[in-house]
Amino acid sequence: MSLHQYAMVMDLNKCLGCQTCTIACKKLWTDRDGTQHMYWNNVETRPGIGYPRQWDQIGGGWKDGQLQPSRQPTLDDYGAPWEFDYEQRLFEGKGKPVMASPDPVSGPNWDEDVGALNGDDNFYFYLPRICNHCTNPACLAACPRQAIYKRNEDGIVVLDQERCEGYRYCIAACPYKKIYFNEITGKSEKCIFCYPRLEKGEVNACAAQCPGRLRFVGLLDDPGSAVHKLVHVYKVALPLFPEKGTGPNVFYVPPFNPPKRTNYGKSILEDPRLPLDYLLYLFGPEVKDIIVRLEVELTRAQNGGSGELLQLLIGRDAETRYQVGPQLVQIQARIG
Amino acid sequence: MRVPLKIVAVLGSSVLASIFAGTAAQVRQSGAKAVVTETAGLALRVSAATSRAEALLDPLASDWTRIPAQRVALNRTPRLYDTEAPSEPEIPFVDVRLARAEGKLLVNMTWHDSTRDAAEIAKLPSAPTEGRPHKELTEATDRFFDSAAVMRPTHPPVNGQWPSLQMGDPGNPVSIYFWSASRGAAQMQAEGRGTTRRTGDTFPAQAAYRDQAWHVTLELPDVSAGIPLAFAVWNGSQQDRDGRKYFTTWLRLE
Repeated sequence: MSLHQYAMVMDLNKCLGCQTCTIACKKLWTDRDGTQHMYWNNVETRPGIGYPRQWDQIGGGWKDGQLQPSRQPTLDDYGAPWEFDYEQRLFEGKGKPVMASPDPVSGPNWDEDVGALNGDDNFYFYLPRICNHCTNPACLAACPRQAIYKRNEDGIVVLDQERCEGYRYCIAACPYKKIYFNEITGKSEKCIFCYPRLEKGEVNACAAQCPGRLRFVGLLDDPGSAVHKLVHVYKVALPLFPEKGTGPNVFYVPPFNPPKRTNYGKSILEDPRLPLDYLLYLFGPEVKDIIVRLEVELTRAQNGGSGELLQLLIGRDAETRYQVGPQLVQIQARIG
Repeated sequence: MRVPLKIVAVLGSSVLASIFAGTAAQVRQSGAKAVVTETAGLALRVSAATSRAEALLDPLASDWTRIPAQRVALNRTPRLYDTEAPSEPEIPFVDVRLARAEGKLLVNMTWHDSTRDAAEIAKLPSAPTEGRPHKELTEATDRFFDSAAVMRPTHPPVNGQWPSLQMGDPGNPVSIYFWSASRGAAQMQAEGRGTTRRTGDTFPAQAAYRDQAWHVTLELPDVSAGIPLAFAVWNGSQQDRDGRKYFTTWLRLE
């Protein structure tokens, strides 16, 4: 256990799938040789194949105290980067629209907005994903070189580029497949929770750029933080695949499961647009309690009652959503 | 020969038996086409080369045919981690030729490997690929590459004490000359398992893949008689990397 733990809560009800977070992260951290296929932050449509493809089925994580096996994702699983045939179209007189070249066969966000059917109704939602900066990281345990460590002061999991030899045991071990191999450097890389920004009091780039204002960032052990309130006080946020045993520190407010268009007035648990089974698959059995809790809050607010939780979830100001900065870690470290 | 208790525990008796059997001239498997004139015991012979070191760097140079190949049994590391798929031994031996020339020790290793696992990893640093903002990927994110290494004690043995075969001991380090089919040559040092680090230095090495076999020459600073060497081979198609590899015992130079 680290002295403190930075955490992120993402409210999936507010995600519009615009990928602004993805691009913010890409421009800041993975615009280098060998990182073309890497999206430390990605947004995938759920239900869907995910990025890398079928990551939730590949393996990894803990079971009965043992790391679980997994294969290595291929470049096609991530989506081989492609270019567009601007030369031919713009300068060689071929009048057709600009096309991807070579013809891509896969890519991150390949099945955007496809979703699935619930009866005759299509349903889907967006799932933004970063490294979960786990409390019990499988990647850290799998590395024979101690190249991965969890920062004692804030719980951020980082990968030492000097110690890494590119063995990729960590990639197999991570059940979320949030470590990537850079074949140009011969080393693995991962999300660093924008620690250089946090150390300057700036929130993570993915959160700062999010137009949906769906991300909350702070220390999980700071009673004044939004993440603490959402996870521990109001208990409306859950980690993804908690049964993988790594103790993720990224939490999700589950999709609010809106009622079908024709069924206003009915409980979302009675006649859901999203099958509850799918949410149970992603977030485990507690998701049902959370939906009930959110429903009660929503009803109260709709009837004119005060709704501190809903106000927090709306999170109009950055000050409401983010409680970050070096001063928090230092002050609390002295108390601790 | 010193066998630390740790190795016995890790390897189990059958693997240990094969270590001794292998080095005691009982290797019967065939397959590689190299002409082997003798099977190595616990010692290796070094020939005095008449050629220049530079000429011997070519692993297929005719000069090497005049130097006897010594066949050394390779041992397969048992499964190191619960999550690793088991894999059968596919490479039973490595043929080693050693030559001294111009104050250098040239090590020629030949081993049978039916799969050539090599990728042209764009060298760093260089300009971006033409028309693209970044160097192109080779689709190798899930692949591992054939490699080979020679290990020696960094310091002359004190009281005949050789460093542990498992990457040396604290205070008794090993120097490793590592060649990879994708990234070339790199020098490393280690003082026990998990401590291996690149020194940042490289060394002359050349490789050729022919007739389903790797032929690799590594140029080391001279190693005097009585000092041991150990050899290792990694098979990329078996996902070899790290300690998942083929290895020999320490073999003293005559």
